This record gives sequence, structure tokens and C-alpha cells, in this order.
Amino acid sequence: MSKDKISSQEIIDLVATKASVSKRAAEEFLKAMIATIEEALLSGELVKIKNFGTFKLQWNEPRKSVNVNTGEEIIIDGYYKVTFSPETSLKDLVNEPFAHLEAVQLDGENNLNVSEQQELEALDPLRIFTEQATEIKDILSEIQALSSNVTPHETENPILNEVEVIPDETKTKEKEVILDEITIEEKEHFLPIETTQEFIKKEEIAIQSVVHEVDVEPLQQEVKKPKSKHKARLFVLLIILLAGGVATGLYFSSSTVKELTDSTFIPLKMKILKVSEKISVTDMVNTISGWISPETQKPPLTVTIVIPKDTTAIDTVVNQQPIDSLQLLFDSPRVYSGYLGSERINHGSRLTLFAKRYYGNKLFWVYIYEANKDRIKNPNQIPEGTLIKIPKLDKRLIDSNNSRCIQKAIELHDIYVK
Amino acid sequence: MNHKELIATMAAKMNAPKATVENLLEITISTCTELLAEGNTIGFQSFGNFEVRKKEERLSVHPATQVRTLIPPKLAVNFKQSNILKEKLKELTHNE
Repeated sequence: MSKDKISSQEIIDLVATKASVSKRAAEEFLKAMIATIEEALLSGELVKIKNFGTFKLQWNEPRKSVNVNTGEEIIIDGYYKVTFSPETSLKDLVNEPFAHLEAVQLDGENNLNVSEQQELEALDPLRIFTEQATEIKDILSEIQALSSNVTPHETENPILNEVEVIPDETKTKEKEVILDEITIEEKEHFLPIETTQEFIKKEEIAIQSVVHEVDVEPLQQEVKKPKSKHKARLFVLLIILLAGGVATGLYFSSSTVKELTDSTFIPLKMKILKVSEKISVTDMVNTISGWISPETQKPPLTVTIVIPKDTTAIDTVVNQQPIDSLQLLFDSPRVYSGYLGSERINHGSRLTLFAKRYYGNKLFWVYIYEANKDRIKNPNQIPEGTLIKIPKLDKRLIDSNNSRCIQKAIELHDIYVK
Repeated sequence: MNHKELIATMAAKMNAPKATVENLLEITISTCTELLAEGNTIGFQSFGNFEVRKKEERLSVHPATQVRTLIPPKLAVNFKQSNILKEKLKELTHNE
């Protein structure tokens, strides 16, 4: 509402300028118009004006009412009332701001309504989650049964330990050298793990000897002998525990694969063992040379250079699984360059519907969202009129028959819809 | 009384040719329409007010099928007669 009320005088002014007639003439005309309409109405006629609407008289029947103050019953007399029904052209023109809205059927016996469909969509992933949860439980119980035998741990440890060590060393690059030394000691401890407790004892002795050496270092003077011994032991214990935990975790993740490729896996493991052994030896040499050299910050740096070799060794093992070209596709950031087309959001349009139309499965709506992230703040509430682009996607990514594609889409769905 | 009859009556009243009356009427109506489309209220003294009102969204239930439909909000033109016109109409007797 730009103004409270536009008076007839203003209409007269407007008409006068538009029709280039004098204001007097316009006023005369308007008065005549209103008078004519009134007269026609009073004589009981209806008045139709083209492109505007119809004026009509409506008879309201007398009715009973109650005086609110006294409670008396009163009769309201019947009366005439002028009604105006606008023509469709005027209706549409006035309703322009809301013209895009359409009536929505909420529920019916025959057809599913929109909200119910959404509920179903929400239920689907939930069902899958519960299935997954039961699977995970089964696997965990299997692992617990297996963990009594030490063998799987031993084979897994070399890989794990190196994975563990990487963050440690990057963190402690500029910290005390002791930590790094111990972690390296750790590696040495885990590599030939066939023995258990006896070996740990040996190890501890080795660490003690190392500690002795460290104490000789002028830079490590602040650290006292007994304390460092104690610390070292505690640290070794802690790392053993951690490694064990990660081992079970990794074992769990690779257990299914392992079952399939157990026979081929063993030589690979052997290889890794050898590689890591070699690396550990070089590490040792490096660290020892580091102790001898006055610059204590160097050894950890050399270690970090060595470690990527281990990770590549792990990668090669992982990559031998046939599915991993897909995994790479999933993990690589998606770049949306080509577009199949664009859609304008109307009342009732949903990304899932677009996904169904363009990719054949509603779950892949997440990719449309990703491609239009800059325009869509909330995927559940996209303002109407928003123009969204439908990205061209890799066919392998939107394979409805591939459960992994579905899985990935659901994962993304969970990320975006919280 | 339709559009043509209205023009004829007005032309007779104003002693003006039908063409000018038609032209003026068209301009008046288009002006009013534009103003209403902008959401303005137009008041004609002694006749009534044209007003744009917003009808809120509502839930309608089909009595037979029980299908619930959400009717979206809309803007509608509303005419309210002035009191002067109302008084004049009161003199009218209902005869049916």
C-alpha cells in the first residue's frame, strides 16, 4: 500500500492528464459515471463495465440478533447492498504477487500427498541404517572372538603403527626428541612382533639404553633420568594400547576383504613387513646419527620424509581392491562444468523431483544441491523463483543399480540434511 | 446494463458523443486498474471504496471426498459501499 486512500480528486487529475482534457471535463465525466451507475443500481439493474467488473445489488434478508448490552432480541431489517465482482483480468492483475501459488492437495485416500512422500524418503535411509547397525554388531562380535588370537593383530600392526606415527611426528617436530625416538622405538617393537611380552621387556631395556644416550645430550639436560625412564615406559604402554585399538578398527574395516583375499593377502603382508623393517632400520640409523649430531631437530624431519613410503605401501594394497576407481571418484571433489539444463523453483518443486527426472533416482539430488550451493542456503527451503542448474554428472556416479552410488548419495544426504 | 448501454446513457446525460465518453471511460478504468494493481485503495466520494485485501491461506476440506486442500493466499479487490449510497439503498423496497 503506497498510499492510504486515493481520492476521486486524484483520479480526476490522472484521467485529465492522460486523456489530455481539462480537469473540469474529467470531473464532470466521473460524476456522470458514478451517477449513472448509481441510478442504474437503484433501478435494480446490474452494471457491467468492460475490463473492470460488475456492480450488482444484493438483498440481505432480515435477521434476528441480540442487543449485546441489554440482551433484547432485535430484528435487523433486510437491506440492499452493492456488491462488486471484478473481472478475471482485474483479478489476475491484482493477484500478481501471489499468482505463482497453487492449491496443494494435502491428503487423499487415492494419492499420496507430498508430506507423506517426504516421510517415506526420510524413512528409507533410516531403515538402511538399522540394517547397517546390525551388520556392524555382528562384525564386532566376530572381532572380539578373533582378538583372543593374537595373530591377526601382528600382521596388521606394521601398517597401523606407521599410520599412527605420522601425526605424532608432525606434531612433535620441534618438541623434545625423546618422543620421536620412542615412537621410532615403537615401530621397531611392532615390526617383528611374533613374540609378545618377552619382547616388550627387551624393548624397554633398549629404550632405557636410548634414554641414557639422550641424557648425555646437552640439549636434553632439563629432563631428569628417572623421570624420563618412567615417562618412556608409560608412553610405550600407551602407544601399544592405541595401536591395538587401531588394529582392531582397521581389521574390522578390512575384515570382509580379508576373508575374500586371504590367500593373496599373505605375501603382500610379508612385503609390507619387509619394507617397514627396512624403513625402521633406516629410521634407527637416522635417529642415532641425530643423537650424535648437535642439531637435535633434524632426526624427526628425516623420519617424516621416510614415512610416506610406508603409506604408499599401504595404498598399493588398498588399490588392489577392484572397486576403488569408484571410491576415487567419490573422494575427488566434484567439479560441475557442464549442465543439462536449468530449472526455476516453483511452488511444489523439489530437488528430489529434478533428480528423479534427470538422473532417474531422487537420491542424487545432492549433486544438484552441490552444484547450486551458492544459490541455495537451505535445501529444504529454496525460495521460489530461484534458478537452479542441473549439472551433468559422471554416469558412474549416478548408477542407480550400484549400491555404492546409492550409499554415497545417502551419505551426502545426511551431511546436507541435518 | 452492460458496457454499451452505460456509455449510451452517459453520453445522453453529458451531451457528449459516445466516442469521447467511451475513451474517457476506458482511461478511467485503466487508471483505476493500475492503481489497484499497485495495491492502492481508491475512494469515490458518495459511492464507495475499492480496496485490495489479502485473503489468507486456508485449508479447505471437500465435504464428500474429505480431500484436504491448502488454498494459497491471494489478493482480491473488494468494494465497500459508502454510507451515502447505503442510505439511498435503504429507501429501496424489496419486492420479490
